[in-house]
Amino acid sequence: MVQLTLPKNSKMTEGKVWPKPAGATKLKEYRIYRWDPEDDSNPRIDTYFVDLDDCGPMVLDGLIWIKNKIDPTLTFRRSCREGICGSCAMNIDGMNTLACTKGMDEVKGAVKIYPLPHMAVVKDLVPDLTTFYAQHRSIEPWLHTSTPAPETEWKQSREDREKLDGLYECILCACCTTSCPSYWWNGDRYLGPATLLQAYRWLIDSRDEATGDRLDNLEDPFRLYRCHTIMNCAQTCPKGLNPAKAIAEIKKMMVERRV
Amino acid sequence: MARFSSMRTPLAKVRGLGSAREGTEHFWRQRLTAVSNLFLTTFFVGLVLALQTGTYADVLATLGNPLVAILLIGMMISVSIHMRIGMQVIIEDYVHEEGWKVVALGANTFFTAFIAIASVFALLKIAFGA
Amino acid sequence: MAETHKTGTPSSFTVGGRAYTFTDHTFDVVVVGAGGAGLRAVVGASEAGLRTACITKVFPTRSHTVAAQGGISAALGNMGEDDWRWHMYDTVKGSDWLGDQDAIEYLCKNAPAAVYELEHWGVPFSRTEAGKIYQRPFGGMTTNYGEGRAQRTCAAADRTGHAILHTLYGQSLRYSAEFFIEYFAIDLIMEEGICRGVVALSMEDGTLHRFRAQKTVLATGGYGRAYFSCTSAHTCTGDGNAMVLRAGLPLQDMEFVQFHPTGIYGAGCLITEGSRGEGGYLTNSEGERFMERYAPSAKDLASRDVVSRAMTMEIREGRGVGKAKDHIYLHLDHLDPKILAERLPGISESAKIFAGVDVTREPIPVLPTVHYNMGGIPTNYYGEVLTKVNGDPDQVVPGLLAIGEAACVSVHGANRLGSNSLIDLVVFGRAAGARCAETVERGARLPDLPRDAGVNSLERLDHFRHAAGGTPVAELRLDMQRTMQNNCAVFRTGEVLEEGHQLIHKVWSGTDDVRVTDRSLIWNTDLVEALEYDNLIVQAVVTMDSAVNRQESRGAHAREDFPDRDDKDWMKHTLAFVDTNSRTVSIDYRPVHTYTMSNEIEYIAPKARVY
Repeated sequence: MVQLTLPKNSKMTEGKVWPKPAGATKLKEYRIYRWDPEDDSNPRIDTYFVDLDDCGPMVLDGLIWIKNKIDPTLTFRRSCREGICGSCAMNIDGMNTLACTKGMDEVKGAVKIYPLPHMAVVKDLVPDLTTFYAQHRSIEPWLHTSTPAPETEWKQSREDREKLDGLYECILCACCTTSCPSYWWNGDRYLGPATLLQAYRWLIDSRDEATGDRLDNLEDPFRLYRCHTIMNCAQTCPKGLNPAKAIAEIKKMMVERRV
Repeated sequence: MARFSSMRTPLAKVRGLGSAREGTEHFWRQRLTAVSNLFLTTFFVGLVLALQTGTYADVLATLGNPLVAILLIGMMISVSIHMRIGMQVIIEDYVHEEGWKVVALGANTFFTAFIAIASVFALLKIAFGA
Repeated sequence: MAETHKTGTPSSFTVGGRAYTFTDHTFDVVVVGAGGAGLRAVVGASEAGLRTACITKVFPTRSHTVAAQGGISAALGNMGEDDWRWHMYDTVKGSDWLGDQDAIEYLCKNAPAAVYELEHWGVPFSRTEAGKIYQRPFGGMTTNYGEGRAQRTCAAADRTGHAILHTLYGQSLRYSAEFFIEYFAIDLIMEEGICRGVVALSMEDGTLHRFRAQKTVLATGGYGRAYFSCTSAHTCTGDGNAMVLRAGLPLQDMEFVQFHPTGIYGAGCLITEGSRGEGGYLTNSEGERFMERYAPSAKDLASRDVVSRAMTMEIREGRGVGKAKDHIYLHLDHLDPKILAERLPGISESAKIFAGVDVTREPIPVLPTVHYNMGGIPTNYYGEVLTKVNGDPDQVVPGLLAIGEAACVSVHGANRLGSNSLIDLVVFGRAAGARCAETVERGARLPDLPRDAGVNSLERLDHFRHAAGGTPVAELRLDMQRTMQNNCAVFRTGEVLEEGHQLIHKVWSGTDDVRVTDRSLIWNTDLVEALEYDNLIVQAVVTMDSAVNRQESRGAHAREDFPDRDDKDWMKHTLAFVDTNSRTVSIDYRPVHTYTMSNEIEYIAPKARVY
């Protein structure tokens, strides 16, 4: 049945409070989830103080500042720092988002940071996304065509191309999928909002010739129909996309092809 | 889902037993019964309000009216179907142990079917003047 | 998923008193890096039925190709007449005649086919009314050998790199290439001048993996993070370049570092040149469109080195904007908001987040920012790595290929044109895949590795893992970045470079005192950052030393003490070798290829470069 409490070895403990940087006048408190797979302790919350005069404005800048100046063992993913690679997705101030595009000034009080919810943690803020990636792979995210390709491009009208807007921009950061309670309960069988948004991106591509096969593969009480329009996905998407709407469109297509 | 050990590839795990190729009927029926429930239960609530001051005999007479009986039977069938589907979703969401899930789904079906049959029987009995 | 192949080579070693064990793998082809070039090579090799592995330190769609915005150049002629020969002329001129013209011909001639292929795989290109791929104007792109303005840059709004990378990743899943994700490559396995494979650290569990392959393809990207302010991702540390240097092979033309004219002031995030392609322009503190003075015909769409220098001149002469008069404005506020929403949605968002600017109303504060490395691993146009041995400047290093920003083919010469990098990735990624398919025997039994294969990697890893000096990695890195930013920037003089040479060598020797705090093996990013810093510093050093050495101005290398291009003495590629033990750099040269690949176009002779 549903597990409503954390297992014993996952219970949070209060961690270390790191000293405030000397001489700093403008400080921001960070409270960060820490867990080291190489010792037996439970996860803990460490407290750090960031010198705002010596640090960029984004939450990621603060994390990097801590890693550079205070505690080099703090572990998190990051790469592009401009919101396009999707590496630094984490739970900040109760909301899944990208640390690089979240301003520290948007957070009142201490910046509380946890890894993406309900995923296995590899270390600190690094979740294991293997299943998430395999789910994305399972929808065959490439153009399916049987008609021999033309010598130049497949023609596509501007209207048809516009249908891909709001879909192709997905950066696979997993913020939406890991914010979805339905995915928390059934993440092994439900594909989750990110993968379904990607699926719809190929379903609605006028160049694709496998729409029916794609729908067949999705038509399943778990893969698709675990979406209960909770809408966390649309709320949390750092790119402003709406996976819930994409899923609703897939459901509409499913009905359309039988009535 | 302990069908295989954990040494399967992530893709094999995700693909699992493949798509069931169903769910749309279920989804569509849920929407249809939602619409019919809206009208039928509104009628039912109106009926209950209207009969509040009536006597037992008044109620029996009203339920004996063919139109009322048909609408109420319709409502009971529609509500039961809707209830069964809704409960099924909840079971699928939260019950993960295969055995318990089958038991719960079966119990859900039997329970809702019983409710539907019993109430339809009662309504017919009244309608045909027991 | 690691499986051990029995080989005759020992797999356990004791280094620094600690035991390490390799997991061994054998593949036909191993690609290091999963950006645009790496993934294109993976698709090519695995499609040909070769057993292909792709090792990457980040999940493929996190590679920095994802951040490319404006587009990919190819003479499709969708928006007016075009010809690959015109594209070639522009590229040669853009390179300031340092590009190899046989390679440039290969690039431009194969560009249209490479773009159509991407489209067939599903890239969501923007469209014209006729349903064809939309193409926009870009800096330095002309028609009819410099006469008109070309619309040659194929775009998916301003997210072209993202669209291409995600599509390539999808495509790479079709064939059975094996991905080793979040594996950090440490060093090449070399045996008597032949590359036999590569060693990598699995970040997830700290295991060490030894890959043996007939071909190793380096697609590890540029090293923008050697500088303090760059548009590059934190992961752009040129790991492959450094591996090549440590293997005793040279890097070519490292002094040529491209500054993108429009990085957001402060944050350094990129604002695409496509913004100027769509009609944006730059102004100084007097509100003047100063590019009209520096490039009377191309104006704001002159080549990047020209625009970056012009901006730097304006700031130096006191006409910068802002409180400290230290940046320039990029105006898009005169453009139709509908056009902005359709064609430049991504940068509108970036400007909002990182500069707090609404592009429909206010100008964006921008500054020339390190963006691209023209230099890299010298290769021919098959992607095969070259070195100079006994005076032969084109000696192929067997078993090793390099592609993408890591490579120096050289198609970009002294300055790359905007939108020529994405096409470089796919054309040469494709060429490398094809070369592997041609030269690799599928599933062949490989000879055993030398008995000490991979020990160099273990020593390097162990050294940093247990480094107990007094200087944290972050401090060394910052010293390096500041030095490069101050002493090897847009304008260079002998004096400043000489000082830079002293300073950067000092940072380099300071590496002996490095301290790594995290001693764990699972996801030890402190260790990985140390290895990355170690990779960056050698590249920073060869960049500085190559720059000191080149006494002329060409493309991105602008020397105030030698303001002119000197074709007589300097129309040659710099080769920089490093001896990591004695920490010394030695410089040699390769001739520029002054011939084309076929007789479909004649050699384009050098002339003055005016925009």
